[in-house]
Amino acid sequence: MNNLVSAFIGALISLMIMINGTLANFFGNYVSTIIIHIVGLFSIVAVIIISRSKIKIHNQIPLYLYSAGAIGVFTVLFNNFGFSILGVSIPLALGLLGQSLTSIIIDHFGLLGMKVDKFNKKKYIGLSLIILGIFIMTIS
Amino acid sequence: MFYIAILLSILAGVSIVLARIINANLAKHIGLLQGTFFNYIIGLFVALIVFLLVNKPFTINNLSFSSLPLWAYLGGLVGVLVVGLSSYMTHKIPTFYLTLLIFIGQLFAGIIIDYLSLNQVSIGKVMGGLLVLSGLSYNLILDKKKNEKLRA
Repeated sequence: MNNLVSAFIGALISLMIMINGTLANFFGNYVSTIIIHIVGLFSIVAVIIISRSKIKIHNQIPLYLYSAGAIGVFTVLFNNFGFSILGVSIPLALGLLGQSLTSIIIDHFGLLGMKVDKFNKKKYIGLSLIILGIFIMTIS
Repeated sequence: MFYIAILLSILAGVSIVLARIINANLAKHIGLLQGTFFNYIIGLFVALIVFLLVNKPFTINNLSFSSLPLWAYLGGLVGVLVVGLSSYMTHKIPTFYLTLLIFIGQLFAGIIIDYLSLNQVSIGKVMGGLLVLSGLSYNLILDKKKNEKLRA
């Protein structure tokens, strides 16, 4: 079940990229990013009102926890820069490399509150298949 | 420029994973819906600052608004689902598996979207995707065996 929900998130991301790409073709990258965030904000506010949840400012939690929204904007900026110079497939493959390395390091050391999941040497076989797969996709 | 583009493309990937985990940690403290709310309000604020800083004249590429279908505005709505579900899943499975499973879902949905909109299928993407899937499955089976041994 966990695996299916996770793959479903990926399917949603593909749909989102297609939709947002259409918007960005029309408004350009910067304005479309603003529109996307406004629509997202309205959507989550609607959900919060319907579910009668409450929004509070919490002073006692570390400030960095609020940084994810800002980081997301930089993801878009970095991607745009990569695409403008390297085309589409190379930034995608490099982005996946960045995601994979970061994930492996975070799991191995249990960073940012994640459970420790040490990298097992037997997994090199699976990892090689994954890298080969990404390579084939990039050159095709 | 070339090397900066390579570095920033890798950092884009790093930032995706960091944002996902930080959002999940925020959600743990203040709740899933509230965490998603702050993700969007802070993202909007930063997007506005970036827009003002780059100071690019705002031009509309096409002729009229009416040529843009309504669904083109709904990416933010899908994004809310993505952020919420990702926060929910982050602490349930190892980071690397979540990364790969999301990638596999994205890839095969992308192949279907390409097929429906452009009527073409990239053999390389299908082959590559199957290889990634088999590598991931192999590692998942290793984990399962290890867990069974620990329990035994």
